[in-house]
Amino acid sequence: MLEIRNLHASIGGKEILKGIDLRVGKGEIHALMGLNGAGKSTLSNVLVGHPAYEVTQGSITFRGKDLLQLSPDERSHEGLFLSFQQPVEIPGVPMTKFMQAALNAKRKYEGKEPLSAADFLKLMRERRKIVELDAKLTTRSVNEGFSGGEKKRNEIFQMAMLEPKLAILDETDSGLDVDALRIVAEGFNRLRTPETSAIVITHYQRLLDYLKPDFVHVLIDGRIVKSGGPELALEIEEHGFDKYLPQNA
Amino acid sequence: MDATKQYIDLFQQERQRIDNGAPRTLNRLRDDALAAFCRLGFPSRRIERYKYTDVAQAFEPNYGVKISGTPTADDLPQAVARSYGSLASVDTDGIVALNTMLAQDITVIHVPASTCKEHPVQLTNTLHSTAPLMHNRRLLIVAEAGAKVQVIQTDKADDGQDFLTTQVTEVIVGQGAEVEFYDIEDSSDRCHRFHHFFARVEAGGRLTHAAFSLAGGLSRNQTDIVLAGEGAAATLLGSAITSGSQHVDNNTLIDHQAPACTSRELYKYVVDQQSAGAFAGRVLVREGAEKTDSIERNANLVCTDEAHMWTQPMLEIYADDVQCSHGSTVGQINADALFYMRQRGISDADARMLLKQAFASEVLSEVPLEALQLRLTALVEKRFRNCEDCKFCKNN
Repeated sequence: MLEIRNLHASIGGKEILKGIDLRVGKGEIHALMGLNGAGKSTLSNVLVGHPAYEVTQGSITFRGKDLLQLSPDERSHEGLFLSFQQPVEIPGVPMTKFMQAALNAKRKYEGKEPLSAADFLKLMRERRKIVELDAKLTTRSVNEGFSGGEKKRNEIFQMAMLEPKLAILDETDSGLDVDALRIVAEGFNRLRTPETSAIVITHYQRLLDYLKPDFVHVLIDGRIVKSGGPELALEIEEHGFDKYLPQNA
Repeated sequence: MDATKQYIDLFQQERQRIDNGAPRTLNRLRDDALAAFCRLGFPSRRIERYKYTDVAQAFEPNYGVKISGTPTADDLPQAVARSYGSLASVDTDGIVALNTMLAQDITVIHVPASTCKEHPVQLTNTLHSTAPLMHNRRLLIVAEAGAKVQVIQTDKADDGQDFLTTQVTEVIVGQGAEVEFYDIEDSSDRCHRFHHFFARVEAGGRLTHAAFSLAGGLSRNQTDIVLAGEGAAATLLGSAITSGSQHVDNNTLIDHQAPACTSRELYKYVVDQQSAGAFAGRVLVREGAEKTDSIERNANLVCTDEAHMWTQPMLEIYADDVQCSHGSTVGQINADALFYMRQRGISDADARMLLKQAFASEVLSEVPLEALQLRLTALVEKRFRNCEDCKFCKNN
């Protein structure tokens, strides 16, 4: 599904990723943990093609294609989805119009006809129920005036609409109360198929309690210093990152 | 040849035909207009209100001027004849003088006291000619006390022909009367238009003026509103979408002469490619205009490095106890929003189009006439699509 080899990336001339190697197979969930500034969000931004980041070395292959050759929208069409840490408010662009543009762009890429307005609205209704997103939110402008929790639910709702093959959840649990976290996590689980993979970036075990990762990686200073199974997340929850920091390693 | 002289010569040669083919009321002001035009000529950029548009250059080419020598016996209805020229003084502006000198065509909308026009009045101006053409026209709207009327003016033109239009509009809003005026310019890139709009709003009257510059070459709209009686109100809305080598210059003056008047002004521009936009809005609160409530805002989205926007909100207050604000912003497409949309699979061109539409939508949502709001939304969307589909955008 995804293969990252010796990835180096920088922003504004400052190197953040210093040689990442990561393989994500079909249906696997990988958790990425690490202190602030370790490069977790940089990695997710590089994967989706954020123009501010420059890849200086290495390669990324996604479903057999050279990801770095694709534009952000092509990466989306290929099945890559990022649940943003801070979803952007876009005043004046209605949710329906935004989602319809996104979905029909994907269908066009796949050589399908655009969805009729009636079918589209039916799909919207179905999918927003998965994350219990209030109907009135989908009549508003994208994320405008949404609470923190509503914004995160809206991210998972968009994921439900676009049915990605690899979802990256960038601190989707931040700013969520216990109930909202459960709704978002259960929504995500309901969308999973044996084909869907995910990279989950988080500081906390509580999201992983729901999502049950197959692999856990510790990212320190732009490198993955330790990989393991779910027990690694529990160990970090208990003892922190201290023993993985450079001065202690 | 000097552009001013060419029009004076034309007028003197054609005077007889111009008079024959026009209502007497229009002819009465021609001598004064000629004298004023000889004195003023075309306004240069050194005149404060004209600093963003080169007027003489626009009037220089040799247009055929539409003159009808066919005799007309009709004159303006007596009740409104004295209003003609009452707001649009020829003494201060060369273009108003030129228009008054040459105009033969006039549309009069007279709404007697306490009469309410159930349906909007729609005026469609379509320019069609086999040679470059200049057209000078007048519009006079008189809404007597307590009257109500909505007027929609739409400008269309043949593609591929040069047109030059001057229009002078005078609107009298009587006590407690309501007038909504919508000006939709959707012509071609070879049209030059100079529109001078004058309104006087008496006590308790309300005026809405909304100008939509969707397509055109050079558009200059000068909008002068006098809030003459206590409690009068004016709303000015403007939306300009420019691309190619388009130039849109809106220059407004809201003159608060009486106490407790309200004015609201919102102009938004989306300036693309190598086009240029200018907005200068002056709000004048005169001595005695206590309890004035005024908000002026101009916001602009500049889409390329080659596009230009000039903005100049002005507020002058000579009264106490007033509530006034004015401001303007100039910005670019929001890069975070653009990336968010692209991550969801929307192409760069489509995402930019949606963001521009979103920016423009605020003015549309303020349009009180619902059917027109829907129509304008569709026109604006079409306008942005044309732009994105054009050769320039595809090559970039």
